Amino acid sequence: MSDILQQIASNLYSGADKAVAGLVQQALDQGLAPAEVLSGGLIAGMDEVGKDFKAGVLYVPEVLIAARAMHAGMGVLRPLLAAGDVPTAGKCIIGTVEGDLHDIGKNLVRMMMEGAGFEMVDLGTDVKPAAFVAAVREHKPTIVGMSALLTTTMVRMKTIVEALEEAGLRHSVKIMVGGAPLTAAFAREIGADGYAPDAASAVDVARGFAG
Amino acid sequence: MRMLSDEQIQALHCTSLDILSRTGIVMKSEQARQLLLDAGAWESDGRIKIPDPLVMDAIASAPARIPMYNRLGQLTMPLEAGKVFFGSGSDCIFTIDVETGERRQATAEDVQRFAHLGDGLAQIDFTMSMGNPCDVPPLDTYVHEFIGMLRGSVKPTCYTAHNREDMEDIYRIACAVAGGERQLREKPFLMLYAESISPLLYPEESVDKLLFCAEKGLPVTYPPSPNTGGGGPITLAGALALGNAECLVGLLLTQLVRRGTPFLYGMNTAALDMKSAIVSYGAPEWPTGMAAWTDLARYYGLPVWGAAGATDSKVVDAQAGIEATVTVMAAFLSRCNLVHDVGYIEYGSTSSMEMLVVCDEVIRDVRFIVDGVEVSERTLAREPIHRAQPGGGFLADDHTLDNWKWAQWRPALLDRTRYDRWVEMGSKDICARANERARQVLADHQVPPLPEEAEEVIAQVLKAREAHCDR
Repeated sequence: MSDILQQIASNLYSGADKAVAGLVQQALDQGLAPAEVLSGGLIAGMDEVGKDFKAGVLYVPEVLIAARAMHAGMGVLRPLLAAGDVPTAGKCIIGTVEGDLHDIGKNLVRMMMEGAGFEMVDLGTDVKPAAFVAAVREHKPTIVGMSALLTTTMVRMKTIVEALEEAGLRHSVKIMVGGAPLTAAFAREIGADGYAPDAASAVDVARGFAG
Repeated sequence: MRMLSDEQIQALHCTSLDILSRTGIVMKSEQARQLLLDAGAWESDGRIKIPDPLVMDAIASAPARIPMYNRLGQLTMPLEAGKVFFGSGSDCIFTIDVETGERRQATAEDVQRFAHLGDGLAQIDFTMSMGNPCDVPPLDTYVHEFIGMLRGSVKPTCYTAHNREDMEDIYRIACAVAGGERQLREKPFLMLYAESISPLLYPEESVDKLLFCAEKGLPVTYPPSPNTGGGGPITLAGALALGNAECLVGLLLTQLVRRGTPFLYGMNTAALDMKSAIVSYGAPEWPTGMAAWTDLARYYGLPVWGAAGATDSKVVDAQAGIEATVTVMAAFLSRCNLVHDVGYIEYGSTSSMEMLVVCDEVIRDVRFIVDGVEVSERTLAREPIHRAQPGGGFLADDHTLDNWKWAQWRPALLDRTRYDRWVEMGSKDICARANERARQVLADHQVPPLPEEAEEVIAQVLKAREAHCDR
């Protein structure tokens, strides 16, 4: 890895957003390809962040600060990237299930996965089964993520799995679920493919599916 | 926090003056007896009786603050109104071995290691010996404690001594560390802890140490222990009135020798347990009494001594946590200046590194509460609230990302990990985690060595003591 890519990665790790944007421009000026800057600099830095967060070294805001720096770098890079240039880790739609307005945990998972290179489509909160089905048809994701905070709403997850089955879409996606009252056993019971107890593990589970 | 009303303070104060002038004390030091008689006290029925004005003059001449330095000459512990400092305790017979978990007798090495640990803990402001070493000649115990504390830590030291001979050796060593007598007077890093025997008895050796400090102008504390039902009456008010009287005699003696001698006012009001007959370190009488005698200290305009962070439990468990938190909270709320005994278990018979580490976290936690709420434009978060998505939260807002480090208290030892991760990391309780932390501090934390001249003086002192033993 070239020096400048290493600098991008380490500045991203420490959340120096302005420095990251400047270094990305500098790398481009030196003649590096945009895709190279993205994977060797920005994504490499975010990988370190994800690893250290999971190991308990970093706090949530530090991950988000790094993500902010990633966005700053992407601001410079995005206009120059051709469609095929972006090596996405996978596409994922995510939403909080019908009847549940809780947003914060789902947003955290979305941001962590974005940081790990996933292309995220956020359906928001109180998402009806039909809306999940329509979004799968439209975006053709590899992963569907569902969130619930309440024991009264987590049971709706089963309805969504069934709706995808009825629409003939169940086998085109991997379904992962999460939320405070959930357990791995519940996830198996409703026919989901994966469960994560926290946002960092969610990234690992998603990577397992996408890989 | 105020424990006593103005009227209650007056009632205690007047009772104490009555004890001194009507009941009188027994003074075993001839030098101190003569000092008191020359100043206007009188003797009857084998007691020294002290008139009110003598006491009031002494209170007026003692300084309201004692600036304490570390041994590098930095002002780290200004004992003055509103400030609260914490440190360990002195002279435990046993310790819990941090490597083996075994309860065994304390050694000279333990003293140095406890000082080292305290030096590496941010909430510990001063060191006491935490051990009465069993592996040195009995008459040299306290000198070895003092040397161990100095080598193990740069923080101010609260030391104990056997007699005047100990004091002379300790003074010699301290002068060598400070760079001379004048330097030591200007930037004292040591405070003597000595005490009379409640009720009303002043042993010669104890008073002699007190007088030595006054002669040299060095800080001293002389808190009696009128423990309820033991050295003091069963009722807390009576214990406080007696303890106040006894402490004021110590103050008076220092001021008679040298006006302005830095004197730390205070006492200890543990409870003599009516079932086991132990002196209880977790008893609520102690923190209640501490808040009350801190009110008395404020009334007199004197810096004040107290205790917290100790337990009667034999292990570092929920009882230890309760007793530590209650007492640390009381120390903070009453604004007691110098708070000792942090890290004691088993009613002060045993020292525990795990307990010291747990208390470090308790102190940091309670400090957050007493620091209160900052209310300002940056903390009111008007704009972040205005721009927030309803229900969407503030986790990723710039205001969170820019302020999270100082705005929230973060645990260092208390556990908040998710269940699965906690299991993954070995399902450790707080005592196991405190043990790891203690070992880590001992392995990683560096303490600047003593100046060479000081080590030379230490070698001379120990050699002379050895020769003395041989004779």
